Amino acid sequence: MDPLQEILRQVVGYVYPNEIELHWGLLIVIYPYITGLVAGAFILASLVRVFNVRELQPTYRLSLLTALAYLIVAPLPLLAHLGHPERSYEIFITPNPHSAMAMFGFVYAWYLTVVLLLEIWFDYRKDLVVWSQQPHGWRRWVHRLLTLGVTDISAQSLGFDRSAGRFITIIGIPSAFLLHGYVGFIFGSVKANPWWSSVLIPIVFLFSAIVSGIALMLLFYLLGTLLRSKAVDMACMDKLAMFLFYALVLDFSLEMLDFIHRLYEAEESIHILSLLVSGRLFLSLVILQAFLGTLIPLLILGLISPALRRGGMVNLPDELRRLLYVGSAVLIQIGIFSTRWNVVIGGQLFSKSLRGLTVYKMQLLGMEGLFAAAALLILPLVLLLVLIAMLPPWAEAETHPTGA
Amino acid sequence: MPPQLTRLLIVFAVLASGLVAARHFLLPKTFGESGHYRTAAVEAITKQPVRYAGREACALCHPDIVEIHRKGNHQTVACEVCHGPAAAHVESPSDHQLPAPRERGYCPLCHGYDPSRPTGFPQIEPVAHNPLKPCISCHNPHEPRPPHVPEDCRACHGQIARMKAVSPHVQLACTRCHETPERHKTAPREARPDKPRTREFCGACHAQGASSPKEIPRIDLATHGGRFLCWQCHYPHQPELN
Ligand code: HEC
Ligand code: HEC
Ligand code: HEC
Ligand code: HEC
Ligand code: HEC
Ligand code: HEC
Ligand code: HEC
Ligand code: HEC
Repeated sequence: MDPLQEILRQVVGYVYPNEIELHWGLLIVIYPYITGLVAGAFILASLVRVFNVRELQPTYRLSLLTALAYLIVAPLPLLAHLGHPERSYEIFITPNPHSAMAMFGFVYAWYLTVVLLLEIWFDYRKDLVVWSQQPHGWRRWVHRLLTLGVTDISAQSLGFDRSAGRFITIIGIPSAFLLHGYVGFIFGSVKANPWWSSVLIPIVFLFSAIVSGIALMLLFYLLGTLLRSKAVDMACMDKLAMFLFYALVLDFSLEMLDFIHRLYEAEESIHILSLLVSGRLFLSLVILQAFLGTLIPLLILGLISPALRRGGMVNLPDELRRLLYVGSAVLIQIGIFSTRWNVVIGGQLFSKSLRGLTVYKMQLLGMEGLFAAAALLILPLVLLLVLIAMLPPWAEAETHPTGA
Repeated sequence: MPPQLTRLLIVFAVLASGLVAARHFLLPKTFGESGHYRTAAVEAITKQPVRYAGREACALCHPDIVEIHRKGNHQTVACEVCHGPAAAHVESPSDHQLPAPRERGYCPLCHGYDPSRPTGFPQIEPVAHNPLKPCISCHNPHEPRPPHVPEDCRACHGQIARMKAVSPHVQLACTRCHETPERHKTAPREARPDKPRTREFCGACHAQGASSPKEIPRIDLATHGGRFLCWQCHYPHQPELN
């Protein structure tokens, strides 16, 4: 059967011809998910740097490397979706300030070069110099290249590194907000689409980004420590869980605000949107995003993390607490992924006529298929492993304990 | 200035000048001449193969069909909606034959009953409407019309009829409120039925002193609803139950 007619049979109500097939598929779901992780991981790092949350020190470098690994992958789903990666440089040489999408290249380049790379460079500079002077190993050549030929590690010079790093983090926070707020802006500014068009979307995106970033770092930190058979720093885990709880509360309140606002405004789109939520998005929005991805983790973290009371409302042994933290972090990842899904896919399932719904048919193979998406989700992990090998983020690798 | 800063500035300066130089070489030739695009792109796009021919092109070889289609009820449905892109067929008809949607499943894509379609759009219930036979055995796809004069208003005003059937006005014939010329059923747009015009029309049954069956709810015609027409508040085909 003609694929169009096949989809047509699942369409309900009245749908305009150009809305039957979705234009933004799985890859565009992945894109905000990944940029969210970048922004979230970076903001976690800045907690250490700018706000001096000492307990989180063990996650600082790991967060930066994670942000970098994910940032490198962030534009790939877009390039794969657009299908002409070889033309992508053109957005840099023909800048178009009237197009929010075209400006992404610049937001991205700014964030990559000025914020992340510089911060990592200043933070690692001393170690790079020391490592590059080691007598053995091929890595010292890479390290030597990365020092850019500057070998000065006098106290004064290191002092400069520290204040430069701090300064960059301070620029970095608004930049991280810009990076992910921008992604929300792309959706929030589509005025023809009542599911997206909302000034709250960029902010909701931002907080969900922070939530996902912290949850991811909690997992990575634990995994990294256990794999190296080191003792897990429970003070750090507790702090992570605490911030995770706060971010989740903010995120949830914003989403609820958005929700109640829509309900109360009850614009003409409300009927089709409630059909959408109670029908095609029930599993991904109500069950995965709201219940499993938000309420359950809120409950667990509220009870056992030190967010509401020192030592937690319920005092559990470390092992069990750790397990529950991991459980919540995994649920949160699933929830945030569903959030992206619900925004991107959900926003295209209903017709602009507000009288019909279409369906999303996911492909398996091909540039926009499930396998391509899975590859893009695995790629940052591989990159992270490479980065960790090149620039070990662990405390024992540092040449002497930093006082940052 | 600390040495690492000097070094960084050099690196950034090299990158920036590299970008400027690259821009010089990479900028597409005709970019920016007439706007934020390559002027040559217009030419490239016009060179793309044309796939649709338009219905005028068909008149040359299928004048009879074009003629009846032009007057019929499908005049707004272009030939290539049903037959697919036909530019190649116009070039050489025997090498590129066009498909014709003869199967029964096709027409309900537009005509299957769906309450969200615009009111007045001819709709049928595919399961109940003369099942199993292909639609084109009774309706000419190029000039579709009911093969015989419909007995009932329901044939064309399905949605209104369905609504009225479950409303308090179920017992009222359409023609009680709409005086309908017989020709309306064959040339609906030319011969239009009458529609109630005054409040007194409804008052004939609903006014306080009206000589109608006494179970009909009464209102004070002089005051109820102010000077508005009744159907500005009550949809006559489905007056609300309370
Ligand atoms: C140059 C003359 C020419 C033009 C122009 C032309 N056709 Fe045809 N068409 C033919 C001929 C000849 C046949 C018969 C081909 C055969 O049976 O091998 C045909 C057959 C067809 C059929 C028959 C398919 C079937 O299953 O029986 C359709 C449908 C059709 N044309 C549609 C169109 C449409 C729509 C256009 C306008 C876009 C068009 N034609 C323009 C010459 C033309
Ligand atoms: C609503 C869909 C529809 C539209 C619009 C339509 N056709 Fe057809 N056409 C059909 C179907 C169905 C058949 C097959 C009829 C049959 O086999 O009896 C057909 C058959 C034909 C044939 C084959 C000759 C015949 O009568 O069997 C030609 C030629 C043709 N169409 C040309 C046209 C042209 C030219 C137009 C535009 C002026 C047009 N059609 C518009 C559905 C359509
Ligand atoms: C692309 C959508 C489309 C398709 C496909 C289509 N039609 Fe139609 N049809 C229309 C439109 C539009 C009208 C005109 C409605 C109006 O007058 O308001 C119409 C009108 C009709 C009418 C009503 C004529 C009247 O008395 O008012 C009939 C019967 C009909 N079509 C039969 C068919 C059959 C049989 C087919 C399949 C061969 C078909 N249609 C395919 C769009 C379509
Ligand atoms: C056995 C002959 C027959 C077949 C087969 C048939 N119809 Fe009809 N159709 C009629 C008759 C007769 C009417 C007039 C209304 C009535 O009396 O039911 C009608 C009315 C209609 C109308 C409403 C016309 C209007 O002006 O609103 C539409 C639309 C329609 N048919 C579409 C179809 C479609 C689509 C199919 C195929 C799925 C189909 N018909 C198959 C005989 C047929
Ligand atoms: C062959 C199909 C057909 C049948 C049968 C039919 N109508 Fe209509 N009717 C139409 C069409 C088409 C229109 C025009 C709709 C439009 O222009 O929006 C119409 C319009 C009307 C209108 C609105 C006129 C106006 O000026 O707004 C009324 C009232 C109406 N019909 C009543 C009836 C009644 C009552 C019957 C049964 C006795 C009936 N019709 C049978 C096709 C039909
Ligand atoms: C109680 C009286 C009454 C009955 C019974 C009634 N109508 Fe009407 N109808 C009206 C009035 C009054 C209007 C004008 C509404 C307006 O102008 O907004 C109307 C308008 C219409 C229209 C114009 C389009 C629209 O939806 O406003 C159509 C078509 C129509 N009627 C068809 C029918 C058909 C078919 C039936 C039978 C199934 C029917 N009517 C039964 C009172 C009636
Ligand atoms: C031929 C007589 C007749 C005419 C004319 C008539 N109606 Fe009615 N109406 C009835 C009947 C019979 C009922 C149903 C009473 C019952 O529920 O038993 C009714 C019920 C109603 C009701 C629902 C009352 C309730 O129980 O909620 C409303 C509203 C109404 N009509 C409005 C109108 C309007 C508006 C018009 C003018 C367009 C109109 N009627 C013309 C006979 C008529
Ligand atoms: C300004 C809006 C408005 C207009 C105009 C209007 N109505 Fe009503 N009508 C109402 C409301 C609201 C009710 C229900 C409240 C009530 O029961 O008093 C109602 C109730 C009714 C009832 C049900 C009374 C009962 O006892 O169940 C009937 C019958 C009725 N209207 C007929 C008419 C008729 C006939 C006209 C035109 C002469 C008309 N209405 C004009 C607003 C309106």
